[in-house]
Amino acid sequence: MAVVSLRPKYLFKVPVEAQCITPDVFANKNLDEIAKLQLWEGNKQRTLGELFEIEGEATDKPEDLCIHVHGDVRKVTRIGADMSAGEIMIYRDAGVHLGEEMKNGKITVGGNADSWLGAMMHGGTIEVKGNTGDYVGAAYRGSVKGMRGGTIIIHGNAGNELGCFMRKGLIKVYGGTAQFAGMHMKNGTILIVGDSEGRAGAEMTGGKIVVSGKIEEILPTFTIDSVKAKVKVNGDEVAGPFYLFVGDKAENGEGKLYVAQSPNPRLKFYEQYL
Amino acid sequence: MANLLIKNGFVYDPLNGINGEKMDIAIKNGKIVDKLDVKRKKTIDASGMIVMPGGVDLHSHIAGPKVNSGRMFRPEDHFKDVEPKTEKTRSGVGRSIPSTFTTGYRYARMGYTTVMDPAMPPLMARHEHEELNDTPMIDKGAYPLLSDCWFVLEPLQKGLIEKCAAYVAWTMEATRGYAIKLVNPGGLEAWGFGGNVRDIDDTVPHFNITPREIIQGLCKVNQLLHMPHTIHVHTNNLGKPGNFQTCLETMKCVENLANNDKPVIHVTHCQFSSFKGSDWRTFESGAEEIAKYVNTRSHVTTDMGQVVFGDTTTMTADGPFQYILYQLSHNKWINSDVETETSAGIVPFRYKRSSFVHAVQWSIGLELALLIKDPWKIFMTTDHPNAAPFIFYPKIISWLMSRAAREKLMKKVNRRALHKSLLPTIDREYTFAELAIATRAGQARSLGLKQKGHLDVGADADIAVYNINQEQVDPSKQYKLIRRAFKNAAYTIKDGEVVVKDGEIVKSVEGKTFWVKPELSNPIMEISPRLKEAFEDYYTVQYENYVVPEHHLAISHPITVKAEV
Amino acid sequence: MGESKFLGYSLHRPQKPLIRKNGELVEASLNEAVKKSAEILAEASYPILYGWSNTSCEAIRVGVELAEEVGGVIDNTSTVCHGPSVLSIQDVGFSTCTLGQIRHRADLVLYWASNPWSAHPRHLERYTNFTEGRFRSSAWNKYLDSLGAYRSERRMQRAAKLAGEIHGLPVAAPSVEEPVQRLPHALFEKERKMIVVDVRRTRTADIADYFLEVEPNKDYEIFQALRTLIRDEELEVDSVGGVPVEILEDLTDVLVGCEFGVLFFGVGLTMSEGKLRNIEAGISLVRDLNQFTKFIIMPMRGHYNVTGANIVSTWQTGYPYAVDFSHGYPRYNPGETSVVDLLSRDESDAALIVASDPVAHFPKEAAKNLIKHPLIVIDTGTSATTVFADVVLPTAVSGIEVEGTAYRMDRVPLPLKKVVRQPKACPSDEQILRRIIREVRRLKKKGGRSNG
Repeated sequence: MAVVSLRPKYLFKVPVEAQCITPDVFANKNLDEIAKLQLWEGNKQRTLGELFEIEGEATDKPEDLCIHVHGDVRKVTRIGADMSAGEIMIYRDAGVHLGEEMKNGKITVGGNADSWLGAMMHGGTIEVKGNTGDYVGAAYRGSVKGMRGGTIIIHGNAGNELGCFMRKGLIKVYGGTAQFAGMHMKNGTILIVGDSEGRAGAEMTGGKIVVSGKIEEILPTFTIDSVKAKVKVNGDEVAGPFYLFVGDKAENGEGKLYVAQSPNPRLKFYEQYL
Repeated sequence: MANLLIKNGFVYDPLNGINGEKMDIAIKNGKIVDKLDVKRKKTIDASGMIVMPGGVDLHSHIAGPKVNSGRMFRPEDHFKDVEPKTEKTRSGVGRSIPSTFTTGYRYARMGYTTVMDPAMPPLMARHEHEELNDTPMIDKGAYPLLSDCWFVLEPLQKGLIEKCAAYVAWTMEATRGYAIKLVNPGGLEAWGFGGNVRDIDDTVPHFNITPREIIQGLCKVNQLLHMPHTIHVHTNNLGKPGNFQTCLETMKCVENLANNDKPVIHVTHCQFSSFKGSDWRTFESGAEEIAKYVNTRSHVTTDMGQVVFGDTTTMTADGPFQYILYQLSHNKWINSDVETETSAGIVPFRYKRSSFVHAVQWSIGLELALLIKDPWKIFMTTDHPNAAPFIFYPKIISWLMSRAAREKLMKKVNRRALHKSLLPTIDREYTFAELAIATRAGQARSLGLKQKGHLDVGADADIAVYNINQEQVDPSKQYKLIRRAFKNAAYTIKDGEVVVKDGEIVKSVEGKTFWVKPELSNPIMEISPRLKEAFEDYYTVQYENYVVPEHHLAISHPITVKAEV
Repeated sequence: MGESKFLGYSLHRPQKPLIRKNGELVEASLNEAVKKSAEILAEASYPILYGWSNTSCEAIRVGVELAEEVGGVIDNTSTVCHGPSVLSIQDVGFSTCTLGQIRHRADLVLYWASNPWSAHPRHLERYTNFTEGRFRSSAWNKYLDSLGAYRSERRMQRAAKLAGEIHGLPVAAPSVEEPVQRLPHALFEKERKMIVVDVRRTRTADIADYFLEVEPNKDYEIFQALRTLIRDEELEVDSVGGVPVEILEDLTDVLVGCEFGVLFFGVGLTMSEGKLRNIEAGISLVRDLNQFTKFIIMPMRGHYNVTGANIVSTWQTGYPYAVDFSHGYPRYNPGETSVVDLLSRDESDAALIVASDPVAHFPKEAAKNLIKHPLIVIDTGTSATTVFADVVLPTAVSGIEVEGTAYRMDRVPLPLKKVVRQPKACPSDEQILRRIIREVRRLKKKGGRSNG
């Protein structure tokens, strides 16, 4: 794969909006042309070359291109937005809106990612080695159109409202999540290997959430359905046993919330309803 | 201000019988004049282009509390349709509920120069005018919602028409309003407790009055006050299958109040009131019945309320109807009742080609426009944004002027709806003259705006020039050119100044706010101390705070009328 | 409360503009101060313009224009206060009305996480239980009666005890009061009734017909539970938020059985865990109740024209607060473009504060980052923020010295009247902001600068 490397020339203070940093935009351009790409630094219009050191060699086809981003880019927003092919590798921490509305391709983050990671994603894969902020895979304010395809893998912890208004796709969190995971979910799958802070599946009407770790309480609008020995997440089997709850009844929902039995002795009282 | 001469265009001025003749239009000091005897003038070469009076829209929800609530709760409607700031224009956002600056610019780009907001809760008039002040490029006005005001219902219930007229006169001035608006008369008061009215003879709870009495009463009041426009009515049972009966009853109930050939009632967004059938399964178009009635009467005018498929936002003062829409669509819903007066409801909505009901609705609007023979009786609107955002006017124009354009879309709509539709049997295509009536002359005349909608000497120099050569273009076949031409006016002239060129804003101007000031002939009828007392009882604002001072309007343009009361 | 604002207003006011020179704030001319402010804003790459809730709509309009001109972020106090209500409305809508509707029609009033007796003292008297309406009479007498009954019962108990002591009779053991299992009968009557829901007993709770004590941070669960119960469905838990399900079921009957119910909610709901989702659940409950009866919901708002700030911002930009103009058109993403968040991430490089005191009210990290950069303050008095400012522009007080418009919490527009003449040296917020815009435009033209 051809590689183009970017490194900030200085520590950014104001937000830098860089939705030009995608293989689709870089493809078929030489380094000079890439350096001339426009982006915003706060309210000032700049070129990519003014803000970043650029090395490497581009190529015509975006699917053959990998962009490496080094240095501190926590204030750089919208990297990978709308991309449809190729790869982006961010070595350290990433800024907000990473991979927003992504259609295909792959983004990897060596450090932490911020909020709105993969918001409104259509396809492709995002993998974060560290933690993420809130609203991963979520819809825009007021919209019901959250993530509708693709895969997000988070090795660390995720914040609030993971997968808000999700419609399809897969989110896997190996750490834990804050509150409201799967909020307003319509379909799709969320796997939380660690603990969920609570209120998982609020307002969900469909889809599947699996919590392998601890969850203090289930929302009162969920009802216990059965105990399952295992559950399938994207074709892979995850061993239980799990309590299967159905809800959110407040929305007449038929979403499935699987909660592991052994880490959650406080949920034992639900068994009387089986 | 420069003198201006628009040379050689094909002029359409239906109010003065000009039908596509090649003519020059001369402008001086913001008005149309006979000719320019001056040497210093700017010339616009309109050869090969059509010249019409600037567009007039008598029913478009562009400003005020419910429009703003709609804006506020739909950020997802805005974020993909943005207008960056330029040297001449303010920035903004668009789609179905644009921000105020964007609203003005987008209307101007299509050659529109006058737009009326049809639903102003009198208590919130101040808000309405503040937004209108921030809507550039167009002249404007607003209609106070009066059909459920306690101060209207109470005298009408007792048959005290003159007392009601005095109150309406006072309110029109206090709110700087333009016309008397009725929405689901009686139903909104019932909605105060979550109810509605079933038809025009149902009794409004607690008030012992029927919608029929409200409509007739306000019609008489309108006549007593000599208002420039007729009563403007959104019928009861809007959006309910079978409601074409209610629509007919509404039009009939004021038949005998017409004493000459002039209209006494305007039924707005008639498409929503032309539903036949007993439920959504047996739903079908009642346009034929409505058209038949309107064709044989001269006391009614209507406007289309044409549906365009796609995503939009419904917003009306008809609280109960909007609640039903929420139940049908399960979309988010805002409801906002206004004490003593009226209500409002907002629900985002998507009209789908594949939906039987929506496809029938689409057909109804066009059937009305094509079956009602006299273009002075039916105007082109979308009840923006209820049936569609106003930016789709050029599309509707192409449907009116080209059967082929209609057929292209007919192929893609729900088959069962198409099967029931009358459109395949209708050949009629609007001429440019008829279009000029439906989008400017007819609307201006209905509004009673004497200096708008025509190009005679003395008219305001509000003119639109469209890049369509009638001698070379056949609108029936080349409807795409029609759409393009009406989307971006070659020139829009406002008060004699060129403000749009080739669809771009070249000068930002403020428009006037029109309002009506009825002068009572009997001074004893002036607002009485008893009303002031009742005021404190009914409202939670003080009487002095209710009135909108005239200086609150950026450019106030009162129209004084002599009332018979 | 209103009176003290009125009468105390002229104390503690800086009379002249101030500019920081060599570390000290010194008096300067208005021209100089305007010039310096314009320079700061025109040069900045990501300025913020914050406050706006204590000024008139006319000033806010100019503020939006200025933010657009300098390519900055304009935000108002919603961001720290009722912002979550706005966000919920954007997700689910809401069913509401103006205050007069409540006065005339409401027979059931719920104050949830709100204590109007202390925070909005006129509320009950003017709009809810203690006022006369067209269809409802005031519950004041009923309250007095019940207060009277309560007091007489206490007096009788004391008398009985005293009598027992004087005559040496054995004092009857005080009857063990049974814990109240079900809701009081008063809640099922036709007249006005009031329920207070809160985490502790407040002054308003004392005068309510019923006080429901709930566990902190469990409002979300309680709203959701009620939504399910009103549909006659069953819950699989015994209690929610510390409230036994039987009581919730009874409460459901009261909610569904009223003729016109209103739920007022306070800032407590926006602050507790769950934030915007708490409001959303409350709005959804009220929306669902409309299937059975008329029900509306309304926030109890604090800052006097925060509603106006939202309304003006919305009609001009499409968005109610946290509006970012840095790319030349309005963008909105609370959490990203809201001032507290971007200050916490230390993203802005200049600030204009109008009629607000963020240094006192913002989280420490945000306040620290605010004062690190050039700071302009337009205000009527001194505050913690003016102490750290680089430019201070004193202005006249809207609603006392300057006319204008403000919006009540139920969005009714009201005129602000001039009561006292504007002091000569103090222009209004609107006037100062206009001067700053003019100067910014002049500077930009001179420098051939474009802000995108």
